Amino acid sequence: MSTLMSMVTLSSFLSLMGFGLTLVRRTTGVWNIAQGGFVSIGTYVILTSVNFLGGSPYLYLPLAFLIGAGAGSVLFLVAIDPLRKRKASPIILLVATIAFNLTLIGVINIYADYLQNVFRINSKNFLLTKLDFKIFGYPGVSIISALILLVFTILFYLFLKYTKTGLTLRGSTEQPDLAGVLGVNIKFVYLLSWTLSGGSAGLAGGLLTMFFQCNPNIGASLIAMMFCVSIIGGVEEIYGPFLGGWLVGFTQIYGIVLLVKVLGSWVISYKEILPMIILVITLIFIPQGLSGIKWGAKVRSKKS
Amino acid sequence: MWHQFSLFVIDIVALLGIYLIINFSLRLQLGYTGVFNFGLVLTFTGGAYVVGWLPVRLGMWILHIDSSLGENMIWNNGLIISKINSIIQGNIWVGLAIFFITLIVAAFIGAILGFASGYPAARLEGDYLAISFLALGEILRVIGTNYDPLIGGPLGVQVPDIWAWTGNFRFITASTVNILVAFGVWIYMYFLERSPISRTLRAVRDNKVVASSLGKNVTKIRLKVIVAGGIMCSIAGALYAFYTAGVVTSAYGMNEWTFIPWVMVVFGGLGSNWGVVVGTLTFLVIQKLIIFYKYSFTFLPFDPVWLQYILMGSALLLILIFKPSGIVPEKISYALTMRKTEKIANEILSGK
Repeated sequence: MSTLMSMVTLSSFLSLMGFGLTLVRRTTGVWNIAQGGFVSIGTYVILTSVNFLGGSPYLYLPLAFLIGAGAGSVLFLVAIDPLRKRKASPIILLVATIAFNLTLIGVINIYADYLQNVFRINSKNFLLTKLDFKIFGYPGVSIISALILLVFTILFYLFLKYTKTGLTLRGSTEQPDLAGVLGVNIKFVYLLSWTLSGGSAGLAGGLLTMFFQCNPNIGASLIAMMFCVSIIGGVEEIYGPFLGGWLVGFTQIYGIVLLVKVLGSWVISYKEILPMIILVITLIFIPQGLSGIKWGAKVRSKKS
Repeated sequence: MWHQFSLFVIDIVALLGIYLIINFSLRLQLGYTGVFNFGLVLTFTGGAYVVGWLPVRLGMWILHIDSSLGENMIWNNGLIISKINSIIQGNIWVGLAIFFITLIVAAFIGAILGFASGYPAARLEGDYLAISFLALGEILRVIGTNYDPLIGGPLGVQVPDIWAWTGNFRFITASTVNILVAFGVWIYMYFLERSPISRTLRAVRDNKVVASSLGKNVTKIRLKVIVAGGIMCSIAGALYAFYTAGVVTSAYGMNEWTFIPWVMVVFGGLGSNWGVVVGTLTFLVIQKLIIFYKYSFTFLPFDPVWLQYILMGSALLLILIFKPSGIVPEKISYALTMRKTEKIANEILSGK
């Protein structure tokens, strides 16, 4: 059961992080390398809040979301939008996110040094598990992260399906030029997607503090995994990262358990490589990802 | 003061050589062929791991050092290295033999890693290609951190000081060798630029459909370029490991050896060798100046070294927005020199 809870927790984090990556890829066509930086921002928002204001880390998750969202907006307004107006290619936009990420690395590390040197807060290697509580004997973060993911998914689905802005977002994703002609403010739609992307990463970072040992480079160390989630799940459908997050989480936990039985315990140290291998296989054989496969068509073609 | 300044200059020169080799390899892949390689760290680390594994064993074999020490290579690493270094101090040929053999093996490993990473990725396009390299680049780091017999796991290993025979001129020698190798790579890129191959690579970059319709195997060409780039990066990694006389996995991160070369090359300009030199030198000098003068900023409540990331990120953003072709833009490369063109034109006009 504890293995299952670990899988649920990890999958929830990865799905939240991958969601933001897929959203901006779907709307603006950019792979955001700075997504890792947004996750790190979330971790430091929680660390700062619990140390200065006290209380449970869960109280400050909305703040982590908001500040992450703010960072996403800044990246769009400062870098992506000006380049988009100059008709920059997707690879130039990707390089711009690298540039922003480098700036974020500097800022986050400076902030961590500042916390450590001035306030004597352990900011270079921290884990806030002791501030978590138990639910039915299991870590609260395991259940709460899954609930947050569920609520987030439902809210986002309802937003896309039943709100005017959500419909606009869907339309702009499919046909941005036509949406622009029909009077949709494309810049606002793109800004919204980058804001949501940063917010979801900040939220995931906030939850991470109670499960992983965090440091200023935690986001950078997870960026490759986030890409695995996004690509394996597929960017064609917005639920792709949720599929990818659960598959990668399952592989990391249960896949390793299976490999240990077959190959021995030495494989545990190499569990990070598994998602990379699945990513490369996915890119070669199903580059559209799991959500991009037309399962209905396959079943029909088999029947005929 | 003079001593500190001279060490400062020597360090810049040494790293300039290493970064130039990596950046020329990136220019070959990205600038010429349009291969978005975000996995430079893979082959760079491969070369470094060769230096972490091979020279000590080579030294033991050449110098007939007690083989019982080799039964626990990692535990006895310090002792073995000191024995090898003491012999190299009085024997230049041992040092040079270890150096050249290791460099050749590193190049070979770089080619294999380049092929292994390029083969699945060569058919992909644009940012999907970039992402696949990013993921593959992480694999070697995980292996190096967890497989102790390779380079001692997270603690790392020392490597034989192949420049020990130079005495007090160790760093000058190492820096000079790095710059000479970088110069050799620059000469290769210079002649490549003036060869028909460069036009083929540019055709693949600009319009692979047309290149393919003219009979060029686009996938094969991209794979060859990735392998060539892998060899160059691997040699750079080996030189860096020899320069620092040690290999530890934490020193081979994606930021330092993939993203920062990208920043340097995009800043300087992908389209010319001089652009690569300008970009590399600019960022290296800024980086080293911050480190050199960081103790003048002790009043700051943080390590000033982090300022370099903010500077690099901001500079790159500004360049991308206002001068996306870089400081030194790409020039048209002519198939023939001006003199030859005039000669042919004169011959045609005179009716020959």
